[in-house]
Amino acid sequence: MISVSLNEVYSETYKALRSVNIEWSLAKDCANKAKWLAQHGQYFLGSILKTADLYNKKDISISINKNTSKQPLSSALMALLLVEYVSANKITWEGYIDSTKFLLAAMGIIAEEQKIYLILENEKKDIIAFTNDKTIYVNSNLDTNVTNYYCLKKFDFVNKKNTKFTSFKKNKDVTNLNDECWKRLKSMAFETYVPESETSKYGAGY
Amino acid sequence: MKFQKTQNNLDYNHPIRPPSTVMKLDRLGSFHQTRLSFTRRLIDDLKYQKSKIEIHQWDIDNSGIGSAIIKIIFKNEILSLIIFCHSINDEERTDRVIAEKWDMTFSLFRGIPNKNELNQLSKNLKIQESGRHNSKQLTLSRANKSQRIFEKVLNDLSIGKQPSQKLINDVGYLVRTTAVYGNGKFGIEDFSKTNGHIFLEKPFQAEMLTVYLVRYFSIELINFLAKKRGGKNSVILSKHLAKHLGVGNATGLGMAPFLVNHQELIHQWIYNRETALSRVYSIKRLDKKTQNRIINYIHQAFKYSLQWKVDDQLQSNKIDKLSSDLKKILQNKELTKFLNFDYPIRTLFDFYKDNITLETQEILNSVFIEPFPELFEDLLNNMGADEKKSVSIDYNVNDILEIIKYNYKWALKIDTTKPEENYCFWYTSQTKLEPRLGITKKDAGIDKQLPFDIAHQIKQTVNILNKLPYDMTVAEVMVNQPKLRNIIKRIITNNSLPYSEIQNNLIGKDMKPIDILRCKLSFFGASKFDPKSNLWTRITLFQGAPLPNELWKTNVNDWLFPNLPNV
Repeated sequence: MISVSLNEVYSETYKALRSVNIEWSLAKDCANKAKWLAQHGQYFLGSILKTADLYNKKDISISINKNTSKQPLSSALMALLLVEYVSANKITWEGYIDSTKFLLAAMGIIAEEQKIYLILENEKKDIIAFTNDKTIYVNSNLDTNVTNYYCLKKFDFVNKKNTKFTSFKKNKDVTNLNDECWKRLKSMAFETYVPESETSKYGAGY
Repeated sequence: MKFQKTQNNLDYNHPIRPPSTVMKLDRLGSFHQTRLSFTRRLIDDLKYQKSKIEIHQWDIDNSGIGSAIIKIIFKNEILSLIIFCHSINDEERTDRVIAEKWDMTFSLFRGIPNKNELNQLSKNLKIQESGRHNSKQLTLSRANKSQRIFEKVLNDLSIGKQPSQKLINDVGYLVRTTAVYGNGKFGIEDFSKTNGHIFLEKPFQAEMLTVYLVRYFSIELINFLAKKRGGKNSVILSKHLAKHLGVGNATGLGMAPFLVNHQELIHQWIYNRETALSRVYSIKRLDKKTQNRIINYIHQAFKYSLQWKVDDQLQSNKIDKLSSDLKKILQNKELTKFLNFDYPIRTLFDFYKDNITLETQEILNSVFIEPFPELFEDLLNNMGADEKKSVSIDYNVNDILEIIKYNYKWALKIDTTKPEENYCFWYTSQTKLEPRLGITKKDAGIDKQLPFDIAHQIKQTVNILNKLPYDMTVAEVMVNQPKLRNIIKRIITNNSLPYSEIQNNLIGKDMKPIDILRCKLSFFGASKFDPKSNLWTRITLFQGAPLPNELWKTNVNDWLFPNLPNV
């Protein structure tokens, strides 16, 4: 295991995703979600590496309209855009999505920053998670990180029935990461660097 | 803008200068230290905290090699600066970030390290970026002795002689740092973890404290070595010379992207500076004592300009013009009369502003802010900012086009098709992972460029948005065209934080990165900017600042534009 800072989580994640030509904004969104997950005691690194692989192989979608169980919408890349879209257009979105914890992170971020109430349900209409007053509450009885068909919408009232929900708490950092996975992320990040040219060196104090 | 009226007769609100005036690189590159700068804030905080600074451990040998710990005792906490002094050859000593060996390496640490921690620090500090660092470390830094001055000063002191004032003034420091890393770099503590800490949660206070302690260490070290070398014949550095020594720093492009990447923070710093200025321009009358203080500060600025010597011809010309502008102002027999008018500061500035350089305008602004810290206590305590990760959902296409029309006029005016507006590109270099500038037509790597072509992105966005329904939400635009998200987020941020965008083409031929560096360094509190090219500069921090044993004194923070008499 290696202990890393939240700043390193952010900066190495977005650079690694840039190395496979993911748009700047999507790479930065993903890095912010990874940092949020780390701050809230959730693992994220394996999903980032997997997302980069799937994106490379075109086995993942970044279209909110075109996604299937075989090519689900990438939560790591698109979740923040999705929650903003659902919130701004006041619509219900349904579709296949992977690594749902990044969607939970996006819901958590928009709840914290814009106090927007959202609800996430699975195909059976079980509540997976909802946001309320800057906090996200997650169904403790369900696996919240499986690729599946989901429904995301704004809400006014949640009927929680007898389900037990727990809130994600900040300051439970997961910044002790698998050494090999971290090395791989860093080596991907390194791909975004450029060997210095002689003109770049000129006047730079070499 | 509203603020509390004070004894200084603030009876109207002078308009704050617009971003179109302030956010130009030539003006940002003329900024000087002000009372809001972080070095000044540090001295306030150290005094307020009744902090005590003392040497906790000193294992330095007669040749200056070894380790030391300096302890800083606050009301509720102890921090320590861990220092290792190494032996290096002269030819290994470079003050650029590309170096791999240094005379000294440092880290500001929470508490006092135990034996294991100290052992880890001794292995990792000396290799800096290549090491893996501890989350109790708040900063990571290194410095070299000044080859121009260190040995000469040591020699003089060891034979019982004070060094020449001219030498001390010309160089201004015994040691020069090349980087002071904070905020989670290489495994050290994240800045976000300092939230709620009365002292460390303010921007760059951990870094400034590190530099202040490095300065203290450099003075202690030279006194110690002089005694070891000269024995009974030696003397310690006189207090007034010690006080005139700061810490040098060599700063390059590594600092530049910060101003592009941290819109919220840059807005906060510049908006607060401009707000402080508008408040002093709103003062209706000045009493005699304050008038004299302002005249004295202009005198000090003038003397400082005479003692500010650089090799760079462009900056040297600017300094000459600054001296002649200030001399003219001081020789004006009407100066006191201006200060007796209603709204005296505004009147004085308005009288001169069209006939003085930007360098002079901005040094005067530093002077004008100086006597009135009570007018902007709220601003001093509010130099940080939260950075948003999501994009506000309240905007549609029409809103974005309107914001661009008003806030990005500067970008729309640029002909982004011209080669000179596409002259260079920013990238991160493999060597030391530092940002660099490449020449578009010459260098490889444009496919990996950093997205600093803001004007170009604005124009592309306008073209795309004009083809979309005006009432479409930007969330819908972005979800369909993720490549626009980065720039739309900037535009929306700029709408509420108008001082968040540099209004120049950052990839144009005319762009001088040195201006970006100087702007940021002025907020740090740097003085004696000494550009070595358009890409890097030397500066001095804490020159003239009180020494640790003076922190209890009244007016301890009165050290704007330090100069030595008879130089």
